[in-house]
Amino acid sequence: MPNQGVTLTTQILTEACQCVESQLGGAKDGRWKTALTYYRPALREASASGDLPRELLGVALHDQLGSYYFLLRAHRLILQADSSMQALMDKLQSYKPRVVLNFEGFQYRLGDFQVRVGKCVPSSEVLRGIMMEVEYLPLSSIEKSRQILEDFFDIWQDTVKKRSLPGHFILVEPNFADYGLQDHYTPQHTAVQYATCMTQLMAAVRN
Amino acid sequence: MECVVQGIIESQNNSHYMRHNNGVRLQHVEALQILLQGLCGVPKERVRVHELCLKSGPNLGVVPSEVRLLCDLAQPTPSWTVRHVGGAMRGAGAEQISVLVRTIVESKRGAQITVTVTSANKMPKLYATDEAVPVTPGIQLVEITAPAAAENYSEVVAAVSSFCEYLAPLLHLSKPGVSMGIVPTAAAAAASLMSNSGAKTL
Repeated sequence: MPNQGVTLTTQILTEACQCVESQLGGAKDGRWKTALTYYRPALREASASGDLPRELLGVALHDQLGSYYFLLRAHRLILQADSSMQALMDKLQSYKPRVVLNFEGFQYRLGDFQVRVGKCVPSSEVLRGIMMEVEYLPLSSIEKSRQILEDFFDIWQDTVKKRSLPGHFILVEPNFADYGLQDHYTPQHTAVQYATCMTQLMAAVRN
Repeated sequence: MECVVQGIIESQNNSHYMRHNNGVRLQHVEALQILLQGLCGVPKERVRVHELCLKSGPNLGVVPSEVRLLCDLAQPTPSWTVRHVGGAMRGAGAEQISVLVRTIVESKRGAQITVTVTSANKMPKLYATDEAVPVTPGIQLVEITAPAAAENYSEVVAAVSSFCEYLAPLLHLSKPGVSMGIVPTAAAAAASLMSNSGAKTL
């Protein structure tokens, strides 16, 4: 979240990456890219949408190239499909992609943590946000790893403050149970996190 | 893309032939299995698919669309495939070949030539797969498919066509929708295959 009156720039992203590398001693591990697509129904009559879902979210995760995730936020439904589903959607022409958001950046290894810092860029190429993904590798249980991830986040906030970054990071906390997801962490959880992150980002941009 | 042909085969004892063959039990489907075993030596797999056909509502999409959800119940963990059947190749070139070439988009990978022998069963109510009854008792559908691409479909067509010739004693295979019925002499061919199954190689 940039401070009041501050424009989001790539400079802030570079600063954040610097924090990870220099202050925390992260080792750069490569690049990553996740894409979020907003699908809207192709209606013959614009006025009468009836009970058709007005929005379908599609997520292509950086580390799950063979899969594609669909979310219906209003219905709290998530579906994992083969990545060829995107070609299928193209053929069906029932729901069409309207907005595509790319999340991309660098990833770092910090001991037992894998950290991804990146920018959120729509097709218009105007920087919309900066986000960070933190993965604690040894554990798959959300409950068991909650404390350690919160501690990491606190350290991160301190590091960023010392560096006088003109903004601060907000923790995204989706309600996984709403989507029928369990304590064992899966890529579906990640897809839900991206969807929730977007909702928060949109709300923040509006305010 | 895929190349596809279909045919039908009798799946129960043909009582007419039984009278003329001193009660020898004839199973055309078994004979087909022997024929296929000789041709390709690939072990058979059980097919049990729960199929849902979804059509777009009246207001959705510029043109109506249809998609099939196929649940494979034969596997220990049921798996779903989403399948969209596109338009078939048309024109003079398409008329001349005996195989249908059409676009297919599936959410799963394809394999070589696949021969499927199935009976279609209708469920009295949604999801009641155990209560399904055959739509065409005594007749099963044989479908042969092979994946193809725009660059190689003519080779795949040739492969499927010649494969069909081997199965001619038991099956009339043609483009889906162009039914040619059962082979009248199938019973004799089946008897021959069943009795020679130990010694014959094709």
